[in-house]
Amino acid sequence: MSRREGSLEDPQADSSASPLPHLEAKIQQTHSLARLLTKYAEQLLQEYVQHQGDPFGLPGFSPPRLPVADLSDPAPGHAGLPVPERLRLDAAALAALPPLLDVVRRLQGELNPRALRLLRRLEDAARQVRALGAAVEAVLAALGAESRGPRPEPAAAAVAASTASAGVFPAKVLGFRVCGLYLEWVSRTEADLGQLAPGGPA
Amino acid sequence: MPAGRPGPAAQSARRPPPPLPLLLLCVLGAPRAGSGADTAVISPQDPTLLIGSSLQATCSVHGDTPGATAEGLYWTLNGRRLPPELSRMLNASTMALALANLNGSRQQSGDNLVCHARDGSILAGSCLYVGLPPEKPFNISCWSRNMKDLTCRWTPGAHGETFLHTNYSLKYKLRWYGQDNTCEEYHTVGPHSCHIPKDLALFTPYEIWVEATNRLGSARSDVLTLDILDVVTTDPPPDVHVSRVGGLEDQLSVRWVSPPALKDFLFQAKYQIRYRVEDSVDWKVVDDVSNQTSCRLAGLKPGTVYFVQVRCNPFGIYGSKKAGIWSEWSHPTAASTPRSERPGPGGGACEPRGGEPSSGPVRRELKQFLGWLKKHAYCSNLSFRLYDQWRAWMQKSHKTRNQDEGILSSGRRGAARGPAR
Repeated sequence: MSRREGSLEDPQADSSASPLPHLEAKIQQTHSLARLLTKYAEQLLQEYVQHQGDPFGLPGFSPPRLPVADLSDPAPGHAGLPVPERLRLDAAALAALPPLLDVVRRLQGELNPRALRLLRRLEDAARQVRALGAAVEAVLAALGAESRGPRPEPAAAAVAASTASAGVFPAKVLGFRVCGLYLEWVSRTEADLGQLAPGGPA
Repeated sequence: MPAGRPGPAAQSARRPPPPLPLLLLCVLGAPRAGSGADTAVISPQDPTLLIGSSLQATCSVHGDTPGATAEGLYWTLNGRRLPPELSRMLNASTMALALANLNGSRQQSGDNLVCHARDGSILAGSCLYVGLPPEKPFNISCWSRNMKDLTCRWTPGAHGETFLHTNYSLKYKLRWYGQDNTCEEYHTVGPHSCHIPKDLALFTPYEIWVEATNRLGSARSDVLTLDILDVVTTDPPPDVHVSRVGGLEDQLSVRWVSPPALKDFLFQAKYQIRYRVEDSVDWKVVDDVSNQTSCRLAGLKPGTVYFVQVRCNPFGIYGSKKAGIWSEWSHPTAASTPRSERPGPGGGACEPRGGEPSSGPVRRELKQFLGWLKKHAYCSNLSFRLYDQWRAWMQKSHKTRNQDEGILSSGRRGAARGPAR
């Protein structure tokens, strides 16, 4: 029955169905943002290794994958999880990244004070990943699949009264690790949102 | 004072490691969580050395790691494997390295000296800072824009190549009193420059100097003493207009306005004009336009587009005796001379006021006029030589010039009828 003949559809029913296009638009928008940040994260990593010197930029460079407080690599089984669960893990990682990027920015401010573009990229990355994290949380909320429970305070934000300084090389490795994690998680988020975006498998 | 060129002896500056934030350890989490980097340690950590020095380093594997041994360890420096003959085992858990005649660091964040296990995994790293102490900065020059600010530029000593991050700090103080101040806005007009935007005194000298510091030492420039009023520059003259002078095919008129910021002070301002033909890169400069705001360019090519620029030197502000500093050139303004069928003259200069005949353009015009007269006015004895003789006579009889204006002797009948006007 068409609208012209007096459809069973009525405006009330229409308005209750309208959140779906809005959600789709939000997912699409967040997916686009994640794609853009993936590109920026690749550029950041390239710029970072240039300023640290070889072997950081060499193919096959594989420093020890030091554990970083509050953040680890995506688990091997991540892609096999349900999409909402994947997005929850993405959101948690994205929330942990900004303080780590801030730490790296401060370290590089001492090691490479003239590398203005690198410092600016690190600053922008912290801000952009915060925005992406908030957007993913909004998608989760719209799906009725918000994160469970409060997140722990990031350890990087609390300056501990430790007595030893770790050295320049570990500082370089830390930044390499954080930039690598940033790239992994934004590209992971892009892939996971792609599952939900219109035209995606979901 | 900074050390001179380094000798071959191993020297490590007695400086603490770079102050990294303490949160680094917290961020890294548990230091020995099954990773490679903390299963060994390199000593010294992050040393600072003079170019040409030697370095003795060790990589010690932690004894509590299963199978930990120095057997098979090797070193890389900036990603390049070092020859095995530079290494030797000190004991079962320690590998030593001897480097001689070190070159300057490849990057300012330090050269990466890394200790590897036999399988290539990274066990530990240390960053070497190899360079030179800074030399004395020199050649400080400063200028004030409209007496409101001060910008200074300098040349780093030894052309700046210390291979280490070197910090330059511009300091200034009032000569007779006051505390040292530090400039805060760097790199405003190049890598070695600083801008002081406000709170500057006039009529009293400042002392200005530059301090250079890096991990190996520091150096200070000579002190420059100046009064702001002696180094004033201003904005380029605005509203530059170039126009034709009636139908005169070899002249253009240039007018401009005194720069507004110093308009009330520019009693002795100098101006300079430069102009070029549209297709050329060669500028001709008209100097010493003095305190006018207009000028006539003469001796130009007819039917040609010219680009013109003007700049101002505000010397003599508040009685300053110094030369003053030229402003930037104004934006180019273009105009074209009227076309002519006659071949035009070459270069020119600013025509002086009052029409006093100058040598080049007026003589050419007079020559053309005489040629025309010979054709059309039955003046068979007309010649340029006659004109020169007349000018010589005019100079000799200076007293009678005003009385005999334009009158020649009877022996020179038919010559030009008077001084060119």
